[in-house]
Amino acid sequence: MARYVTSRLAQIVVILFMIVTILFVLFRLAPGDPVSRMVDPSLSPEEAANLIAQLGLDKPIGQQYLQYLQNFVQGNFGHSFHYGLPVGQVIMAKLPNTILLFTTAMVLSALAGIAWGKVAAWKKGQGADMALTVAALVTHTLFLPWLALLVIWIFGYKLDWLPINGMISAEVWLDPASGHLDKALDVAYHMVLPLATLFIMHFGSYLLVMRSSMLQTLREDYIITARAKGLTERKIRNHHAAPNAWLPVITSVGLSLAFSINGGALTETVFSWPGIGRELVMAVSQNDYPLAQASFLLIAMVVLFANLVVDLLYAYFDPRIRY
Amino acid sequence: MSAEPQTASQVTPRRRSPWRERFREDWLVFSRNPLGRAGLVLLSVFGVMALLSFLPPLIDPMYHPMTGVDPQVLYSEGPSVRHWLGTDFMGRDILSQLLAGTRVAFMVGVSAAFMSIVLGVSIGMVAGYAGGVLDTLLMRLAEIIMVLPTLLVVLMLSALFGKLNIWTIVLLIALFRWPGVSRVIRAQTLSLKSRPFIDAARVAGASHARIVFRHIMPNVLPLAFLYMTFRVTAAIVIEAALAFLGFGDPSTVSWGMMLQWVWKTGHMFQAPYWLFPPGLCISLITLSFYLLGRAMDEVLDPRLREENGTV
Repeated sequence: MARYVTSRLAQIVVILFMIVTILFVLFRLAPGDPVSRMVDPSLSPEEAANLIAQLGLDKPIGQQYLQYLQNFVQGNFGHSFHYGLPVGQVIMAKLPNTILLFTTAMVLSALAGIAWGKVAAWKKGQGADMALTVAALVTHTLFLPWLALLVIWIFGYKLDWLPINGMISAEVWLDPASGHLDKALDVAYHMVLPLATLFIMHFGSYLLVMRSSMLQTLREDYIITARAKGLTERKIRNHHAAPNAWLPVITSVGLSLAFSINGGALTETVFSWPGIGRELVMAVSQNDYPLAQASFLLIAMVVLFANLVVDLLYAYFDPRIRY
Repeated sequence: MSAEPQTASQVTPRRRSPWRERFREDWLVFSRNPLGRAGLVLLSVFGVMALLSFLPPLIDPMYHPMTGVDPQVLYSEGPSVRHWLGTDFMGRDILSQLLAGTRVAFMVGVSAAFMSIVLGVSIGMVAGYAGGVLDTLLMRLAEIIMVLPTLLVVLMLSALFGKLNIWTIVLLIALFRWPGVSRVIRAQTLSLKSRPFIDAARVAGASHARIVFRHIMPNVLPLAFLYMTFRVTAAIVIEAALAFLGFGDPSTVSWGMMLQWVWKTGHMFQAPYWLFPPGLCISLITLSFYLLGRAMDEVLDPRLREENGTV
């Protein structure tokens, strides 16, 4: 196990190194002056000179690359133009928000996909199966930004039930009387719509995977044995078939991670959820290259680690697999 | 399941060419899938829309999706006789934009999917057939590209190189969407490689190139074609999302662009007639390609027919 994790971590480091190198090369190839891209023109001359030296932009290209790698390892990505702060500080503050929204959405949609896929397979060909399958097909081909706008339009505007942007409301957080619970509830309240958007987008594909995996499991001999033993249908479904059928859902979560991260960034942007995905989108539109680069690398890291976590979860739940 | 070849032979009284024969059998399987038929119908509707997109600017220049402005309309207005779906904030006709967007979606989807399939099939066949170091290298590369979120990668590239034009976007999508295909094609190639007919070809003196292109490729193409339908949807969605975020080709009217306009100009609450059509079109075209792909999957993989049952 430890050996497997170590080798996977080494792999992640190699991949990150490659991505960083490609970014460096592209950055040098891109039109325009590298210094003006990395150094905010509003800085004072001394500050600018300081930053140029720190980033190694005044050195020959080889040394510049080494300096770049060193800065990457130390988490030094320069100053954000927009915030006027070190980039590392900006994005690390946003990371927990992204992880909170994204992980909750993935876990909930996988659980729902498993639960409903189980029912669909069990009722194969009947009304419930038809309804669930069609719902899954339709929802997971929706265009995510549009779904987000629709959800805002319906629940935030027409019905006016829920907040449509941000993560917290100032009244609650500035009020000294509100405790941790009030604050947590406030965040949860703001999270409902973005979470619903991601959930609607994602449960469908997990449902379809669970359904087809469950149908295969139901043909296995041990299901016949269970029937022959006279177990209740419910017991066969929940304790004999389902536990063997839901593992492919984990694999599918892993395979669709890159796709889901795209969706996460879009959701954050539409709902102004203060996460790294939105930070990347805004940095690119504001020509804040240092911030864009750092957000991109952080997202790449998150995807790589999430993939590792998914593989470990798989091994944890499937006793046949031991690394 | 076993009944299918029989039905097919019953309805073919005289001998036809093997290709037509096969097509006929496949069509029988396909047409029995209601969702596949629905996908095909939807797709035909979009096809007609794409063809119609050339009409509005010919009727009156004010119906031009990009430059046409109705002098009588000063702000976004709801549906009327002059503008069936209303106008956008500049007085441009939403219906003509929607039709033009259909053309762009097909263009982007089909060309990006075609390129990524060509790449994926070639790389998959080479990796599977050559094996060894080349195989390992290519598959490692595929793994790395696969974990990258394509939309954000393209976004990053547009941060470096400025606004990308539509063909660059298409090319980038193709470059980042081949790994999935190549893995499937590689697996297929590996299993084909060990079959007797490949040995026979080799013994007969066929070159590697001939074996790959004449003997392996025809056997993996149906699978490649299937994957193409799924890649079309991916390409359309990525382009739309990019345009939605404001990084699309500014000289093209795509559905994503229309959504970006309604969102960024703050019209989404007042102008549902403008908010609904583009998003609905993106979602439906994705759905129709997806349904088509699933139905084709069933044609290629008989096990799925039983699995999917009535749905």
